[in-house]
Amino acid sequence: MPERKPDIKRLTELSLLTAVSLIMFVIEMQLPPIVPVPGVKLGLANIITVYAVYNYKPQEAALVFTVRVLIGSLFSGNVTALIFSFSGGVLCLLGMILISRISDVSMIVPASVIGAALHNIGQIIAAVFVMNTTAVISYLPYLLFAGSIAGAFTGTCALLVIKRIRPPKD
Amino acid sequence: MKKKILIIISAAIFLVSGALSVYLYNKKPDGRTVEIISDGKVLYELDIENESDREITVEFDGRKNIIKIENSDVYVSDAECYDHTCMKMGRLSQSGVPIVCLPNKLIIRYKEGGGELDART
Repeated sequence: MPERKPDIKRLTELSLLTAVSLIMFVIEMQLPPIVPVPGVKLGLANIITVYAVYNYKPQEAALVFTVRVLIGSLFSGNVTALIFSFSGGVLCLLGMILISRISDVSMIVPASVIGAALHNIGQIIAAVFVMNTTAVISYLPYLLFAGSIAGAFTGTCALLVIKRIRPPKD
Repeated sequence: MKKKILIIISAAIFLVSGALSVYLYNKKPDGRTVEIISDGKVLYELDIENESDREITVEFDGRKNIIKIENSDVYVSDAECYDHTCMKMGRLSQSGVPIVCLPNKLIIRYKEGGGELDART
């Protein structure tokens, strides 16, 4: 089956990416929070999401993200976080896929910052529904500020990874 | 051109949110009335200056948060949840930032002037 070979190679790569992002997620879980504001964190695992968006098909990046979030929530035993991860992540993923279509890898840091901002907006929308009050919107400026720093960081990391690894472009 | 737009948007997000955060963080709260909101309902409205030191227990879904009022200040002293972020957030007066416990749907904040009545209905 010669035509099946690249599929399996791809599947292995995606599994590897998912595993790496899960490891990053678990490591970050052990670190103490930088600032005691709910929702603020570095999001190391998103380095892989950014990398996948730029080097794989949109559905493949979405797959890596979904599996990571689902298994990650099992690892952390934190079901509430799953809602926030998903609402933020989906919005972020859509935005970043769109940006990666209209620009190239050189724009990965701004794209990542915009992605982080979309992630924060998704989180707050979810929080409004979960908490049943609009009071949480007052958190948005802090989340966006922390998010844009975290986004610049993850974007830079992803850029470094892309520069070092020559991925098989389909 | 697209590149410029992307850079401008991301820089704008950073600068505007940064400026807004600094402004909100340093802003004096509108009043000294503190609201304790659980699952979208305002449970307590406390005039914090004239409040005697006491403990308030708020329960949601069987999980308790112990809120302490001490020297005209409010903080969460104990929480039955997995991350205890609300406890780490410290005292409300340190900044105007509301204390939030996401798993137990609890918010403690300074009441804003007007427009907040619909949150109660």
